[in-house]
Amino acid sequence: MHPPFDDLRSFLTALQAEKQLLRIERTVKPEPDLGAAGRAVANLGTTAPALLFTNIAGFTEAQVALNVHGSWANHALMLGMPKTSTIKEQFFELEQRWQNYPVAVDRRTDAPWQEITLTDDINLFELLPVFRLNPGDAGPYIDKAAVITRDSADPENFGKQNVGLYRLQVKGPDHLGLQSGPPHDFAIHIAASEKKHQGLPVAIAIGNDPILTLVASTPLEYDQSEYEMAGAWRGGVPYPIVKAPYTGLDVPWGSEIILEGEVLYEAREYEGPFGEFTGSYSGGRALPVVKVHRVHMRRNPIYEHLYLGQPWTEIDYLLALNTSVPLYRQLKQEFPEVEAVNAMYTHGLVNIISTRVRHGGFARVVAMRLLTTPHGIGYSKIVIVVDETVDPFNLEQVMWALTANVNPEFDAVTIPRMYEIPLDPTGNPQGITTRLIIDATRPKAPDIRGEFGTPVTAYPESADWERLLKEMTS
Amino acid sequence: MICPRCQSPDASTVAHSPVAGVWTMNSCPTCWYAWRSTEPPAATDPDLYYSEFRLDRDEIAAAPRIV
Repeated sequence: MHPPFDDLRSFLTALQAEKQLLRIERTVKPEPDLGAAGRAVANLGTTAPALLFTNIAGFTEAQVALNVHGSWANHALMLGMPKTSTIKEQFFELEQRWQNYPVAVDRRTDAPWQEITLTDDINLFELLPVFRLNPGDAGPYIDKAAVITRDSADPENFGKQNVGLYRLQVKGPDHLGLQSGPPHDFAIHIAASEKKHQGLPVAIAIGNDPILTLVASTPLEYDQSEYEMAGAWRGGVPYPIVKAPYTGLDVPWGSEIILEGEVLYEAREYEGPFGEFTGSYSGGRALPVVKVHRVHMRRNPIYEHLYLGQPWTEIDYLLALNTSVPLYRQLKQEFPEVEAVNAMYTHGLVNIISTRVRHGGFARVVAMRLLTTPHGIGYSKIVIVVDETVDPFNLEQVMWALTANVNPEFDAVTIPRMYEIPLDPTGNPQGITTRLIIDATRPKAPDIRGEFGTPVTAYPESADWERLLKEMTS
Repeated sequence: MICPRCQSPDASTVAHSPVAGVWTMNSCPTCWYAWRSTEPPAATDPDLYYSEFRLDRDEIAAAPRIV
C-alpha cells in the first residue's frame, strides 16, 4: 500500500505519475469552460483522469482541480492500491480498514494554510476562482469543502464535532448559503445553537487530501469522529489536524484554504436551484446563512471543485463505496449471511444486497433493516435483494436475478408514505415517497412457489480455464 | 442593475477580476442570483435569461425551510 497523502498536492503529484492527471495550461474562462470540462471528463469512463487548470481568465495565479475522485482508477490510488483494482477489491479494502476505527488524531500547531490570513474586506469572488457549474445554478458554489461544526449542547465532545460535505452557495463577497437536510449532523448542530439563541461557529476546509473528502461524505454515526475514521482509512496513520484560530474548531493540517465564520442565528435565505446528484436541479429553499470572518490560505492555493449532474459524474465515485460499506457493516451485525451491499447509484437511492437466505421471507427482512439504518431512512428508495451467488456490483448478474427470480405479485413489496431526502424529484410531497423492496432471491421453504429448477453450475475446472484464458488475453 | 433572474432593481457589482478589466461579479440581494459579466447572454441579460429558472417575489417568499 502506498503511504497516505497528507494533502491535495501530494495526491495530484501521485496521480500525475500514474498518468491520471491532465494539466490544462491554456487560458480558460470560469464559465462555461470549467463546468463544461467537468461534465466532459466524467464522460470518459471508469479510468478518467483528474484535471488541473492553471490559467483562469481574470486571475493571476489561480489553480482549479476537478475530477480528483472521478474514476475507479483514482479511487484506488487514493487508497494506495493499484489503479486497476476492481470495485469489489476496493469495497473489501475499505471495509477492512474501517475495523481499525478509531485511530487517535495527530495534533499539530503549524499548517501550510497559515501562510496568509485575511480578516478585513474579504471577497471570495476575488480570492478564489469560484464558478458556475451548470447553467441553471443560482451562482458559484463551493461544493467539495469539508464543513466543520460542533454540538453546542456538548461542545467538548470531539466525536460529535462534525466534518461533512454540504453545498455552499457563494452569494456575496463574505456571504454563503448552506444546504443541510434534517437527518444530517449539521441540522442537529444548528438546532442546538439556535435553542441557545446563538449563531453556530463554522470552519470550511477547501482543497483537502482525498481520504478526508471521502470520510466527510460518509454516513458515520453521530458521535463518530471523521478524523479518527480518516486515520483508520489511512491504514492506521493518524490524521493530522490543527486548531483554527478564530473558531477553535479542528481542521485538516493539509487544506489549501480554510474559511472561518458563523452560521447566523435564525437566518434563512433563498438558496438554489443547483444541479444535484439526482440529475435534476433542486428547487429553491430557505436555507441557513454563513458569514465569513477569516480566510486562511496557502500562497497560490489550489481550488478543488466537484462536477455533478446526470450520473455518472465524480460525485457518484466519491459516494459509492463510502455509502456501501457502512450499510454492509450495519446489516452484517444482525445478519451475518449478508455478503456485500452495492449502494453506488444516486447516493444509494437504489441498494442491492447480496445475501445467503436463511429461510423463506428472509430477504425482505434484511431489506427492511436496511430501510431503518441512518442512511436508509433518507435514501434507500428501492432495495433489491439477490442471492449470495450474485455479485451485487455486477449489474448483468443482478439483472439476471431480477428476470429469473422475481414474480411481481409476491416479490415487489411497497411501503407508502415514507420519509426521504427532499432532493429526490419523485417525492410527493417533497420529502415523502413510497419505498420498494424487490426480493430477487430464489424462494426458500416455507415460501414454496413457482417451478425453480436446479441452478446450473459448471464443472469445477471452469475456474482454471478462466485463469488460463485471462493470461492468454492479457 | 436589474437581476436577470428575478428582475429586482437592487442587484449590484460586488467584485472585480484580480487582473483588471477582465470581468465583474454581480449579485442580487433579493434572490441571491450571482453572475459574471463574461458569462453567456442567457446568464447575464434580463431579457434572455432562462424562462424555466426565472423567479418572482412570491416564489422567493414561499421557499420551504428544511432545517
